[in-house]
Amino acid sequence: MANVLSATGLVRRFGDLTAVGGVGFSIEEGETFGLLGPNGAGKTTSISMIAGLLEPDAGEVVVVGIPISPNSVDGKAAIGLVPQDLAIYPDLTATENLAFFGRLYGMKGEQLSKRVAEVLEVIGLTDRHDDLTREFSGGMKRRLNIGIGLLHRPKLLILDEPTVGVDPQSRNAILESVESLSAEGMAVLYTTHYMEEAERLCDRVAIIDEGTIKAEGTRRELVAMVGGRDRITITATGDLARGTAVAHDISGVFEASQSDEGMEVLANEASRLLPELLSKIAGAGVVISGVEVVEPNLEAVFLHVTGKALRD
Amino acid sequence: MGAAIRIATKDLKLRVRDRSVFILGILAPLVLAFIFNFVFGDALTANTLDLRFGLVDLDDTEISQSFGDILVAVESEGILTLTDYESAGSAEAAVEEGEIDAYYVIDPGMEEAVLAGEGFDIRVIGNIDAPTSTQIAAGIAEQYGSGVAGVQLAVATSFDLLDGPPPAEAAGWGQEAAGRGQSFVLDDVTTATRQLDPTTYFSAGMAVFFLFFTVQFGVVGLLEEKRDGTMARLLAAPIRRTSVITGKALLSLALGIISVGVLMVTTRFVMDAVWGPPLGVALLVVAGVLSAVAIMGLVGSVARTPEGAGNLGAIIAVTLGMLGGTFFPVGQGDDLLSKLTFLTPHAWFMGGLADISGGAEWTAALPSVAALLVFSLVLGSVAWVVLRRRIAE
Repeated sequence: MANVLSATGLVRRFGDLTAVGGVGFSIEEGETFGLLGPNGAGKTTSISMIAGLLEPDAGEVVVVGIPISPNSVDGKAAIGLVPQDLAIYPDLTATENLAFFGRLYGMKGEQLSKRVAEVLEVIGLTDRHDDLTREFSGGMKRRLNIGIGLLHRPKLLILDEPTVGVDPQSRNAILESVESLSAEGMAVLYTTHYMEEAERLCDRVAIIDEGTIKAEGTRRELVAMVGGRDRITITATGDLARGTAVAHDISGVFEASQSDEGMEVLANEASRLLPELLSKIAGAGVVISGVEVVEPNLEAVFLHVTGKALRD
Repeated sequence: MGAAIRIATKDLKLRVRDRSVFILGILAPLVLAFIFNFVFGDALTANTLDLRFGLVDLDDTEISQSFGDILVAVESEGILTLTDYESAGSAEAAVEEGEIDAYYVIDPGMEEAVLAGEGFDIRVIGNIDAPTSTQIAAGIAEQYGSGVAGVQLAVATSFDLLDGPPPAEAAGWGQEAAGRGQSFVLDDVTTATRQLDPTTYFSAGMAVFFLFFTVQFGVVGLLEEKRDGTMARLLAAPIRRTSVITGKALLSLALGIISVGVLMVTTRFVMDAVWGPPLGVALLVVAGVLSAVAIMGLVGSVARTPEGAGNLGAIIAVTLGMLGGTFFPVGQGDDLLSKLTFLTPHAWFMGGLADISGGAEWTAALPSVAALLVFSLVLGSVAWVVLRRRIAE
């Protein structure tokens, strides 16, 4: 996979405050990279430097091989930015908003019209394309906000907390859009303070706090840092003692015990073990009526690496 | 430049939909120009002064009649009306009845005094309710007296040099002395020579006054982009940062020129305003709008919010407008106000229009155009530097 973004040693100070103190990471084509941290952790300042809005005091940003700075023009064409605050004109229609920003990215004529229509379809606003956006609901505005960012087919899409203040239905639509874009090969940098969004969307996650990256890796790698295990809760009857003994012998299972409802199993990579586990305990005389898998989450990781809860 | 034009076009569309540009840029100045002209127009027109004088010539000699001849000559210009009275009493009664504003009394012995090289009196009695007319009447008498005195002095000098008066010519010199008073001319300085007529004056005043509010839309737009979050998206686009500022300045320039242009054309055909040679007017408008953009750009670079820029801009626009004489003419004497007025683009703009509105060539506007361009260059450069820094914050 080609490297789309390379950020190294980014530092940004505001007076005496160091908002970002040496942040660095890279993102490959088709990869969704999450920047997870509480408000004020330095997420927005980091992406402002990556998008060329802010000049770093130190460090370097390279997108598709082109160095990015506030004065660079060429490299910015490869970036699509979806700011945290709505960045649309309320007295323009959805089509006019998209067309205006499309023209700033050098699109014109039929190519622009066609792409605007495509994006309206993707964000589900085709029916409302000619309405002034001031008449839109919050969710519709958010979707248009994202649509503008991906209009020019950027190599790197930066989404800064795109679901803040969004209703659950629109939120789900936004997350599905991001999954779809990533599947198409777009590199996505996604900042959020919602742990479940980072877990759902991101191939890799960096936990950022107080302007520095505290940990980085895949979800599994991060969870492994805190020694977490998947918990499999099996609602069952029958020969539970024999079933527990059989489960113990399966490779990857750390602990198996009986419970009031059936069995509890602690294991690594539960989703991979599950077919074998269920097959063997059923063969041992256990009658299974329900299964639930609970994996250790990034909340625990965040607590481990920062010493505080994510929503503090 | 392409990006700047796209930004300006987008903003123009927003402002047209907003409709505020029509109200501040066209409707308000037009309505106020009409109202000001209707209410105060006559106050600026000296032609409307109806000078009604009386003359009581008790000397009734050839020399005393020369003063009456001067007044008749002025009357023939349509500037005053003159009535002869037999006595001071009848003239006094006419003043009290309001038939005349002032009257002259030439006492017996004037000719004798003039021929003897002595002083003489022309008394001016005026109505207390017509001080301006009385002042003008006194001025005419003083002017006549000065002329006579000048010739008396010349005659006296000649007598000294010739060691006595040549008897045959002395009487003729006396007549000459009295006739010299006719060098007095009451000229109408308010017609289209160096001053705009009331309609044009108030139209120009309102145009330049509201121009400062109209061009503010561009600068305020810059701060609105920051407030509304769209600035981040503009700065993230593959365009030069200066394109954003240039786009806003272009919008201000376009709105200013459209606003003043529409106002001038409308007042030309609806209110008979007289603007002068189109080239000179066009140069003044462009230079005036540029100076307004520069000043309001400076306001935008200082303000933190669109509301703050609006308030500060309004204060500056009103202050400069008052000082620049957009509501009432500022005197052209040696007082401080007369000097301060030239620190405003308004005064140069109005002055430039006055210079070319009386039939002069368009080149007569060039000094004012140059002054306005200096405003634009100096203040615009400062605004440009500060705004570039501000949008990056």
